[in-house]
Formats: sequence, structure tokens, C-alpha cells
Amino acid sequence: MEICFFSKLKSSYIVHRFSTLYKNMRFAKFILVFLSFVAVSSCSFFQEKIDFNAQVKPIINKNCIACHGGVKKQGGYSLLFKEEAFSKGKSGKVGIVPGDASASEFIRRLTLGDPDERMPHEKDPLSSEEIEILTKWIDQGAEWQEHWAYIPVKKQDIPEVSNDWIKNDIDRFVFENAEKHNLKPSERASNEDLVRRAALDIIGFPAEEKTRNVFLQKGKYETYIDSLLSSPSYGEKWTSMWLDMARYADTKGYERDGKRNIWRYRDWLIKAFNEDMPYDKFLTEQLAGDLLPNPSENQYIATAFHRNTMTNDEGGTDNEEFRTAAVLDRVNTTWETLMGTSFSCVQCHSHPYDPFRHDEYYKFLAFFNNSRDEDTNAEYPVWRHFDEKQKAELTNLSSWFSKTVSEKEKKELISFLQTLQPSHNSLKCDDFVNAELNDTKWLAMRNHSSARLKSVNLEGKKKLIMQYKDFANGAFEIRLDNPKGKVLTRLNIFKKEENKGWKTIELALENAQGVRDIYFVYSSSVLDNPNANGIMFDWFYFTEGFPAGKTPEFAQQKQKFWNLLNASVENTPIMYENPEGFNRKTHVFERGSWLSEGKEVVAGVPASLGKLPSNVPNNRLGLAMWMTSKNNPLVARTMVNRVWEQLFGMGLVETLEDLGSQGATPTNKELLDHLSYKFMTEYKWSVKTLIKEIMLSATYQQSSKVTPDGLEKDPSNRYLARGPRVRLSAEQIRDQALAISGVLNPEMYGSPVMPYQPEGIWSSPYNGEKWVKSDKSRQYRRAIYTFWKRTSPYPSMISFDGVGREVCVSRRIRTNTPLQALVTLNDSVYVDISAKLAQKALNVSKKNYLESIKTAYMLASGKKITKENFIILSTLYQKTLNIYRKDKQKTKALSGGENPEMAALILVSNTILNLDEVITKS
Amino acid sequence: MEKMIREAFLRHLEKDTRRNFLKGSFLGLGGLALGSMMSCNNDKKTINSLFDPQNPLAPKSPHFAPKAKSVIYLHMAGAPSQLELFDYKPELAKLDGQDCPQSFLEGKKFAFIRGVPKMLASQAVFKQHGQSGALISNYLPHLSTVADDLSFLKAVTTDQFNHAPAQLLMQTGSARLGRPSMGSWVTYGLGSENNNLPAFVVLTSGGNNPDAGKSVWGSGFLPSVYQGVQCRSEGDPVLFIKDPDGISRDIRKASIEAINEINQNEYKAYGDPEILSRISQYEMAYKMQISAPEVMDIKSEPAYIHEMYGTKPGQASFANNVLLARKLVENGVRFIQLYDWGWDTHGTSEDGAIDIGLINKCRSVDKAITALILDLKQRGLFDETLIVWGGEFGRTPMAENREGKPNAFKGRDHHAEAFTMWMAGGGIKPGISYGETDELGYSAISGKVSPHDIQATIMNQLGFDHEKLTFDFQGRSFRLTDVEGKVVKELVG
Repeated sequence: MEICFFSKLKSSYIVHRFSTLYKNMRFAKFILVFLSFVAVSSCSFFQEKIDFNAQVKPIINKNCIACHGGVKKQGGYSLLFKEEAFSKGKSGKVGIVPGDASASEFIRRLTLGDPDERMPHEKDPLSSEEIEILTKWIDQGAEWQEHWAYIPVKKQDIPEVSNDWIKNDIDRFVFENAEKHNLKPSERASNEDLVRRAALDIIGFPAEEKTRNVFLQKGKYETYIDSLLSSPSYGEKWTSMWLDMARYADTKGYERDGKRNIWRYRDWLIKAFNEDMPYDKFLTEQLAGDLLPNPSENQYIATAFHRNTMTNDEGGTDNEEFRTAAVLDRVNTTWETLMGTSFSCVQCHSHPYDPFRHDEYYKFLAFFNNSRDEDTNAEYPVWRHFDEKQKAELTNLSSWFSKTVSEKEKKELISFLQTLQPSHNSLKCDDFVNAELNDTKWLAMRNHSSARLKSVNLEGKKKLIMQYKDFANGAFEIRLDNPKGKVLTRLNIFKKEENKGWKTIELALENAQGVRDIYFVYSSSVLDNPNANGIMFDWFYFTEGFPAGKTPEFAQQKQKFWNLLNASVENTPIMYENPEGFNRKTHVFERGSWLSEGKEVVAGVPASLGKLPSNVPNNRLGLAMWMTSKNNPLVARTMVNRVWEQLFGMGLVETLEDLGSQGATPTNKELLDHLSYKFMTEYKWSVKTLIKEIMLSATYQQSSKVTPDGLEKDPSNRYLARGPRVRLSAEQIRDQALAISGVLNPEMYGSPVMPYQPEGIWSSPYNGEKWVKSDKSRQYRRAIYTFWKRTSPYPSMISFDGVGREVCVSRRIRTNTPLQALVTLNDSVYVDISAKLAQKALNVSKKNYLESIKTAYMLASGKKITKENFIILSTLYQKTLNIYRKDKQKTKALSGGENPEMAALILVSNTILNLDEVITKS
Repeated sequence: MEKMIREAFLRHLEKDTRRNFLKGSFLGLGGLALGSMMSCNNDKKTINSLFDPQNPLAPKSPHFAPKAKSVIYLHMAGAPSQLELFDYKPELAKLDGQDCPQSFLEGKKFAFIRGVPKMLASQAVFKQHGQSGALISNYLPHLSTVADDLSFLKAVTTDQFNHAPAQLLMQTGSARLGRPSMGSWVTYGLGSENNNLPAFVVLTSGGNNPDAGKSVWGSGFLPSVYQGVQCRSEGDPVLFIKDPDGISRDIRKASIEAINEINQNEYKAYGDPEILSRISQYEMAYKMQISAPEVMDIKSEPAYIHEMYGTKPGQASFANNVLLARKLVENGVRFIQLYDWGWDTHGTSEDGAIDIGLINKCRSVDKAITALILDLKQRGLFDETLIVWGGEFGRTPMAENREGKPNAFKGRDHHAEAFTMWMAGGGIKPGISYGETDELGYSAISGKVSPHDIQATIMNQLGFDHEKLTFDFQGRSFRLTDVEGKVVKELVG
């Protein structure tokens, strides 16, 4: 592996220096010296079959692909795709001739004496063993295989092994694999360890006593697992994993990093996990909920998955640039988190190692390039959350529409009320005269000004609804084709009072046909200051309009419509596909730069991974259907691997983010495929079933004790001959501390909370937002509800390897630093929790302080304290008690009271919270 | 053989971490030895071999003998005007108030300038200083006295003209969030020589964090242990470093002893070497609690030092941070980032006027930076400490006219095409001025230097080939300088 690292390092060095070293492969002189060698290896024809993926591909990736692969094709020759490898280079000679190594230029060039001609160029020659493998492989017919992760998952044969240790099929795979590595699986963990391990894994903190006793006293392990899986806390625990993948945050990111209202998406996840929504549906709703037939509010909220991209509010920034950045992020996130493939390198060039071509990145991007979002300040499009009364009004209005307008018109009107779409954002305006985008966000017009909005479909549009602010009396007009063109509408503004907020208004439009440019023209007779803004716009909605009618009923319904439109409601950013007339074209970006557009492409998936299923739409919904079809080789494997990692601390493929040929080698590919196949078929994509199956295995239930032999043969427990032992995640550390001290507030859902945080952490420029400590019980809510500010995340979460969530992170890397110890020792949050734990222990132990030490230890670790450890802690108690007895001030400072016993017990509780066995899952 | 060494080490470790570790030899053990023990038996699949999860901060050697041991990077967030400080343009004065030539505007984009702006003469008075004849304006009277120690890059260019992306590009090599900062790369590559202090320290002044937030000292995709630790001028100097009220040092010591004794028992029961790492982690935390506040308290400095820097202990100021940076360097911290907020002189307010606010900003840094150079020299640390000064971009030779209207005060818009930075110490050739802009200071005409070149140069002084310090992420080897960067040879000799 070390060797591989360095070779990769070198190759990347070469790969990314495009210019200098270009040297033509001159397939010229024919040298006979090594012909005998080729003959010798041909003799070994009948020997063992060479495996392409296991034996050949690693040699090619290591030695050849940097110059003959996805980035460079030196000498016009590449070894990335089969058809390229089997064809001619610039020299006119065929690289690989299946069945005939002696006729293959590829082999000849490896064995030449002339260093100028011999490959790898300017590097050490391949070893004779490596050349022999390649030669044999070609002679055996050069069978080209896809990398394992790109081949659809097949049903696996269950290894025929038997042993008393085995509980289910998972164990057969593990047992066989462990034996291969001369390892014996471990005995079952103690009940105390297991009861805590399972709870930390399923609900994220130790279970309550009553739940625990199902297992500890009645011995019913499976019932215990079931009750944990049906706890609502399960959804919270597994959502916290998903939030890193979704790059969820409560702020928009970039400079101003203002607040974003997107917590309903987090709540959607919790509910989806708790309901055990099948994973295929779970993905489809997040990727394309808006494109489902008659999507529900919840399905729209699910699409916020891809609205967790960042929005840039910094003044002076190009909105199209950051819209594009968000779209690129959607592509990379979809691949990395849902399909375990590092796709971002294909943004600039074909994948250097895996079978993805440069233009395929942009074909895939085209799926995401047609959503209505445009980096607007208000994060349009949004779903407007009406309250129950408003919802009833909307239903009422909707049934009235059924009677008065066509189904299509009804849908449009209702959809507009819910999403304010499809509207033109004023930031798309250009051709300004005395006008500009205010703070590069909104069209602002001064006296005698004009601005253009390009390509507006005016066909059949009778009304314009727009959101604007006015600052002075004046006249606003919309003109066709040019600033002096036909007047489509006119608004005279008579300001009566100072009203700084946005206003919405409807204007009647003159007839106009087709898709046209329109001009906004503004003038004022009272606006003396040529630099003052007279009017400002947010968006424009061109519509056929509210049905016309003269009866009071029409007026009444129209009032309802306007009440709903003007209602001030909370909203959530969502995906909303561009309708006809708003579509964007997608181009390849040359070398990945959005400013250099190459050829136009249409939406599609990489050829090496098959095609969209037939009869599906060529949009995000079709994409979701392709991803969740059983033929997709990556989606099930990626999720199974991720679930495994959550439970064991390491995936069956360590690199969760990359199952490709540069990712880690699977430690048990058959097991991964076995579970992935079952996940899609027998389990019907049920995540709970998958988790339960793993937890019922003997593999999961093993003791995590490390034997010297086990440490020697498998230091990082790849082959699973012992149970998992890993430090808790940032979220688990907080949640566990709250739970064991009895203060955890079980309230679920809702807007994020702000637990105690030291002063001066938040100081974003141009952002007046403050960290305002939440009130009492909201201090003690689970970590998942803590307000997540991208440029300044909650400090203790980051100390324990939490991530910034600027982009998706599919794997947290656990580290070990003194700063972590400082958090659990000194952070006021943990000092407070220590006091709560002491109080709880004291209550349980009927005010006996020494007994309380035992109780606190039991609460925190789930285990009875050993005599030895009790001596250590009671000695500490006595020692500090003596200090507190003499020092009233200290006693008061730590305990808030005058009882030195209490102060000493708090100190001991704080000590217990820092024990390895408490911050580790064992 | 390997097995034997490992076993011997393990036994040694078991013995040393048993009981009373705080009473006995305080040093000796600790993360360092532990880390090297762990790495010799690790079959870690992680392809990023410089990263050892057991002891990620173990000291490591760079690629070649370094010229500089430490870096103090002074980032003037907001972007100071090169035309008022270092880039003397008499021709610009002649065009003051005239319309900007069309050639400057065609095909260009500005953050706030719209239409045709007016040219704006420098508001400062320039003079040559020292043997080198460096041009420094009257805005920086103190710095002028050490002109011969500085080396200027007069034609730095960037491709970002908004603060957050430009700061990110300068500090992380990419204009987008998510990449590790320079200090993180250095910490990943060098580890830390001082277990009692954070390896990479960040100090901010001016009342705000930089525009790009903590991402400019974030660790991106590198393990979070490599991120910069922000030391604060109010409250704890390092978050959570202070013992809680009511827990004194002796109590804390007893408590950590108990933690580690019980962890030792845990190790006996489970045999997991991670537990030994935990023991060392708590030992290091205890030591850091003692050292860090001591080092970070500038009160103990003598009066003449305070006089020299213009520091007033207890106040949040850039000067205090500069003095603190010197103390950190003395104590083996490798990378120190200072961010000073408030250099964004658009001319939309008095504070942001190049003839008012900018002069005040200069006053608040001039004395301290000069003192830092002199102080490092008198301590013999100047040659091994690289000081870098600059913003994220420059400012236009035109007056800003936001939304096409003249601004209330004299100010300049963001300008990506040319600006000045300087370096000093750390093996940089002194007294050089490299690169030139055209006669109006609009674009670079020779000696162009990009943020990636600056990064390559800094890495070079620290002993790194910037192309070789990489980390694998998303299927690709990443490095600080992305796919670019050339060491500025003219400066490094």
C-alpha cells in the first residue's frame, strides 16, 4: 500500500502537469532481443487463469495509466477503456492483440532495451513477474473485466462452513474470511458491553433501564434490538450520519453565511428513518420528489437534500458563477455519497483510473442544471409552509378553481401560491441604463433608467405579478423589445407612507406574442438625487392570470388568493424543475472551467454503468429510477458499506467515498455483495432490516477484547475476528452525556437550538446574527438540533472530528488530540452535565456519597465498578473533599452551594465522563 | 524483529503510563514515542502515509533542509490599497479625476464599479528608503525604517475579486470552500514540535473574522486535527483550556491521574492500544493547560517591549497579536496566521476612505510589524522566521462608483490584476523588489506572481516541494497549490 501511495503521488504530479513532458511514443525500431522471453511465457499458456481485476489492473493503474489513461493519451494510446487498449496507437501498431502477446505492442514496449523506447517511460522497468502476468493474461485471451464495483450485484453463494459460533449467514462469510487470515473469531461480548453497544449504534446513547432490562434480565436480545429500532431516537441517530452527506447546515455559507431555514428537511429525514422508508423511495424523494406525480409537501421538502448547497450573498459576486458551483456540488455529492464514486475529477478531464469520460460528467450535470434556483438571496425556489387555516383556504380555493379553470391552469395557480414559481428573478436583468443590481442581488432603478429582461415567454400572458419595493413617486413601464417599444404595462407610484418591505402587485399586460426581450423603464418627477434608487425588484411572474369574472364570488376568491400570496409564512428551499421556456442548455466545461464552454450535451448517465431504464423520463426522476434499479451496481453497495461502517467503525471497503479502482480493496467483497443483494431484494430496501440482520450476527456480538495474536495479525480489525471498539462520534458524546445525567430533553423536530457556547465564536462580517443561548430545557436537546453555522460550527463538535459541511463529507476521520480532552474536562457544558450526573447519582443512591460514585460509574459506563476502580475514584473523592472542606469559595464555584461533598462528587462525575470506556463504544 | 521492538515498546509504555505518571517523569513519554510505536505495527490501509491517526502531530521532516522554521503570515483582510502603500505611480496623479480609459474596462468585471469610473491619484506621499531604495509611502513611517529587510512582490495577481473566494484562494489554494489551509498542510507535513501548544495558531483582530470565516484556517479534507486553533484575546486564550471555576490545578491533576489509572485498568482488560493513546492524550492536555496560558500571556513582557510594539495587555489589538506571535514562534509553533479586519477601502464610509480610514488602519499595524522584525532580529530568530504580509487582492487605480454613482468618500474597488505583498526573514533575500505594474498600476507587466506561487515559495522555505506534499481525497492526490505554483526564485536565492 505504501508503494501504491507513492506511485499515485507521482502519477498525480505528472497527471496535473499538462505541459512539459510530452514525448511521442515512437513505435519504430523492432528489436528481437526479448522475443525469446515472449516465447517462454507463451509456454505457460495452460497455467492458472489470470484475473484482470486482481492482477492486471493494479499493474496498469500503477505504472501506465498516468500517461495512457483518462487524462493523457501519450502516443495516442490509452489503457482506460477496452476498445482503446485493443486498438492502434499513433505508431499504427495494435497495443493488445487478445490471445497473442507476441503481436502486442504493449508487451513489446515493456521489454525493450532502448531506454527511450522502453515503457514505463523514464522509470524503472516492470519486474519480470509483472511482465509475465500481463503476457499470460493476453495469451489467455485478454479478458477485460469491469472493476467489481461497476458490475451489478449478484446473489452470492453462502460459504459452506459450520461452527457453533455462527448465528446467521453474515457469520459464514466472516468466519471463512477470518480463517483465511489465520484468525479465530472472538466469544460473545459481555451483556453489559453489548447492551450499551447496541443502544449507541441504534439510538445514539445508552438506553433507559427499562429497555435495557429486556435484555439484561430477561435475556431477550432480539426483542431488545427491536425495541431500540422502534424508538423515535433511532431516526435522530441515523439522520446525524446523513446530515454530513447532505452537507446540511442552518446557514447559507460563504462570506455572509446568513441564516437558512431548512430544518424541515432534517425533520423529514428523522421521520423517514423512523418510518423505515424503503431506501429506494428515500433516495427518489430526495433527488426528484418534485417530479413525482402530484408531489406532496413532504416530497418537496425531501428535495431540499440538494438545496443544502451554498448560496453566496457577498456583494459583488456573480450569481451565475455560484449557481454553477451549486450544480457541480450536486453532481459530486450524488456520486460520492450515494454511489461511492469520486466523480469530481471528471469535471476537468476523463477519470484517470475509472471508466468515466469527461463529457459524461456534463451529461450527468445536465440532470441538475435545470432547476429554478439562481443563487438568489431569498434562496428561491422555496416551499411556503401554510398553517392549517391557510391550508384549508388553499383547498377551498383549489376546488373553486376546479369549477372555473382548466386543470392545467389550476395546477399553475396553486403551485405559484406554494412556490412563487415559475418566476423570473430580477438578478437576471442586464443592459442597464441608470440602473444596476443592488448589492448584485436585485434590480434597482434610478431616475430615467431602463434595464432588460431577456427571453420572456409572453404568449397568452395577461398578467404580471411582481415583487418590488418603491422609494419615491414615479412611473414604471414595461416595454417590448427595446426601451422605446410598445408599452405592455404601466404602474404609477404614489407613495403615501414609508414602507420599506417588499410588496406584491398584479398588473394587466397588453397582448404580445412569443418569447421576447422586455425592458423596464422608470422615471420620476420628484426624485432629484440622480444617485437615489426609485424602485427595486425581486421577481416577475407572467401568467394567464386569475380567472376573470364579475360576480362577488370571483372577488371573494381572488381576495383569498391574494391573502395567501401575501401571507408571511416560513419557507424551505426546494428543487423545482424549469418549465418550458426557462430551460438551460448544458455544455461541457473545458478543463472544468465554467467560463469556457465546450460542446452542448443532453442529460445521460455514464455508458460504463448502463442506461436509464426504458420508459423513464430523461430528468432527475429518471435518474433516481436508474439509481434505484437493481442493475445499478453502486447504490446498494454504498449504503450497505456505510451502515457497516456506522456499526463497526470501518466499512467493508474502508473508503466509503470511493469504491472505484483507487479506493481501498474490500476486506470481504462477498459479504458486501451478499448484503447488498439482500438489501435490494429480500429486505425490500429496508434499512432497519439490514441493521437488525447485522446486529443479530455473531460477528457484531463479539467481544472487542484485543488479544496479542489478534493485534499482531489484524491490528485494525479488518477481518472482524473481534467486536468493534471505537471512540464515539461528536454527536454520541454529547447525547450520551445528556442521557446518562438524566437531563436529555427528548423533544423532537423544529428550528435549531443554541446550547451554551463561549463568547466571541460567531463573528461573520456583514452579519448581525448572534448566538442567543436557548432557554433552559432546550439547552439539553440532542446534538442534531444544535444550530450549524458553516463558517463557524459548534466548537466541541468540531473538536471531535465533526465536519464543516461546506461540501459533503462521506466519512469522518477519527483523530485523537489533547483539545478533545479539554472539551470534556472543561467545557461549561460538560461541567454542568457533571453536576447533573452527580445529582442524579445522589438521588438514586439515597444521598450516600460513596454509593453515588458507584452509581455514577454505572450510569456512565453501563458496568458495575470494579473494586480496583472504586478505590481509585473514592480516593479521588476523599482527596478533593478535603480540599473543598477547607475552601468554601471553590465549593461554591463548582457546586453552586456550600456542600463540599457535592463539589467532590461533581469532580468525580466529571472524571467519570472522561474515562476511555465512557467515550468509547466497546 | 519488528514484533520484538513493538513488544518491548508496549511493555515500556505499559510501565510508564501506570499510575503516578504526573509525579514521575513528566516528559519522556507522551504522544511522540507512542506515535512512533504505533506506526511501526500499523497495517493501515490509509494511503496518506503522513497521517498517523494514533499520533497525527508527531514531528516529521520536510523534503529538504528548510530555511525557515516558522511562518508568521499577516493577512490584512479586506485588501489594502497597494497604490497608497507601496506601488508608486506618478502618472496616475496626472490623470486624477479623468474618465478611466476604455481599454481598462473592456471585457472586465468589477465587484462594484459600473459604467465609466474616474481615475484616482494616490493619496499618499512616497519616498525611497534604505540602501535598497524601496518605495514606501508616508502611511507607514515605521516600516520604512526596516525597508532593507523587506522584499516586495509588486505584481501579485489573482483571479478572484470577491473577498471570501480570494481569501480562500490565498490561504487554501482554491476559491471554493473545502480545501485545507496552508497552515493545515504545513501541520500535516511537519507535525508539531511542541506538544503543549497547538501546532497551528490563528489570531484575529479588527473586530471580525475574515470574510471566508474559519475556512481560511480550516483543515478541509485533511483530518480536523490539522486545522488552525484560534487563540482568543478575551476569555480563554485557547477554548476550554482553563480549569472550570472551583477546580484548581491540584484537583485537576488528581482527577487526570484517576482517569489514566482507570484507563490503564481498561487497557489491561481490553488490550486495545487506542487506550494508551487516550492516556497520552490526557497527559498532553494537562501539560497544554499549563503551558499555553503562560505563553499566551503577554503581560510578563518587559516595558520596553510593550513600548516597541505599542501593545497594551488586555486589549484586543493587532499589536498584541503580533507580540503573541513572536512568543509562539519562540516556543516552537510552526505556523501563525494573523488576520486583521478592516482594510476594505471602498470609500463608502469614513472608515473605508483611502485618505482617512486607511491611514488609521496603517497606524494600527505599522509600529507592531516593525517591532516584530527588530525583535526577531535581536533574538536571532529573524532568519528562521518567514514573515509574509498582504491582502487577498489589490485596489483599482480608479475611484469606485458603486452602482454607477460616485461614492461618498475617496475609495477604490477590488482589483485582482495587480497588488503588492512583501516577505521578510526566513531565508528570503532582503531588499528586493520583484515585478512591475504599468504606469497607472492597473496590470502586471513583469514578474507576475500568483497566490499559488506565493504558497509554493512559502512551502519551499519550510523545506517542502509543494508538488510532493499531497493527500488523497475523492480519488485524487490533492496539494495546496492545486495544479499550479512556481517558487519565486528571485526571492529565495
